[in-house]
Amino acid sequence: MNLSSDHIDDQTAAYILATRTYFEDLKQVAAQLAGLLVLSAAGSKSTVPLQPIEELYRNAADGLKSVRVTNRARRHHESLQTALAKLGDALSSAKGTADPLIPLESAYADLRSASRALPGFEMVSFDYCCCHAK
Amino acid sequence: MQNNYSIWVTEFANVPNYPLSGLIYGAHNQGHVRLPYCYVVIKGHGHIAMVDVGYNHKEYGQVLAGMYGVRDWHPPREVLAEIGITPEDVSRIFLTHAHFDHMGNIEDFPKATFYIQERELSKWVWAMSLERRFRWLMAGVDPADIMRTVALARDKRLVCVDGDREDVLPGIDIHAAPDTHTWGSMYVRLRNDLSPNSKNTWIFAGDLVYMQENLRGYKPEDPEYIPIGFASGSQVNLVMTTEELVKGVDGDISRVIAIHEDRLKDMFPSRLASNGVRVTELALADGEPSQVC
Repeated sequence: MNLSSDHIDDQTAAYILATRTYFEDLKQVAAQLAGLLVLSAAGSKSTVPLQPIEELYRNAADGLKSVRVTNRARRHHESLQTALAKLGDALSSAKGTADPLIPLESAYADLRSASRALPGFEMVSFDYCCCHAK
Repeated sequence: MQNNYSIWVTEFANVPNYPLSGLIYGAHNQGHVRLPYCYVVIKGHGHIAMVDVGYNHKEYGQVLAGMYGVRDWHPPREVLAEIGITPEDVSRIFLTHAHFDHMGNIEDFPKATFYIQERELSKWVWAMSLERRFRWLMAGVDPADIMRTVALARDKRLVCVDGDREDVLPGIDIHAAPDTHTWGSMYVRLRNDLSPNSKNTWIFAGDLVYMQENLRGYKPEDPEYIPIGFASGSQVNLVMTTEELVKGVDGDISRVIAIHEDRLKDMFPSRLASNGVRVTELALADGEPSQVC
């Protein structure tokens, strides 16, 4: 994790370390929900159960309540909270009749904003793939 | 030799120094090569088709340029203009696999129908469901790309193929290569005279092959198959698929097109445009003017 940029103070570094897991959880919720939707829309025989996705979501929601937010991390945290709310909407919609895709795409955009707000939050791992030239 | 299709390989970005070991299994400490990023354009029978679509620079360009040295990215509109077409002209796109640099730009092709192996999607979705310590299995996959395919599927512009399919367009076949570079990789075989037993075939290998060495080893006079350096599937399957590819072109391995092979430009007529876009011409349909001469 690159913490050298943008003058990250100790408290914000602690915030980054504490929040990274929940950021990853939310990313995974979004990714799994997207997978569920694409398999369904494509008429696939494969299925994705919703329950593990909801557990992951609850874990992130509970965890984010307890992190200590610094001024430097405020914008990041707001993006995460917004993504959390929209993913909650998307999950509710997936169980009902509304379209989960709209809140899902919006939540993913918020996660992307969060990833830009502080170092140490990657949206995609490019390690090991055919661009990783180091 | 009768050609029903024109075929070009167009380069949209490159990595100047890529370790050879990533491309050829076991080639450790053997230096670096230039790694082009390309897609294939096929024109004929009233269609323009592509094999893969590259990636979207506006989302990841800065990361890829800064951390991984990817350079000279050009948008599809600029790249395709070099052969006189627009992204809106493209009607069929064959996604060889779900890595970001192959399917990361689907939104730029608003009128195309996309083909991908069902297994590729379903296994990625499975990988997404695993815990963080399994994240290697997700390397190179952008969940946003999976999200975009939802809209494609709803618009009936996504065709999930289960295995092989012949004549997706006249003379163009899709072949599954499960558990190789990825879980549901596929390659495209084009019979340019449309004959079932064509002697005028081309294979677009996606990332099943990176370089000529994967097809013939280091000694062309004593050929051997050496798998690529990066695969989430089986090296055995890759070797057996390589045999399939070579047989599919009657042993003429220059017709197995690896889009990361920098020497393609030396094997076929090629042109470097003033904007840095390279076009390599593999075949011209009867009556089609050259785009490189």
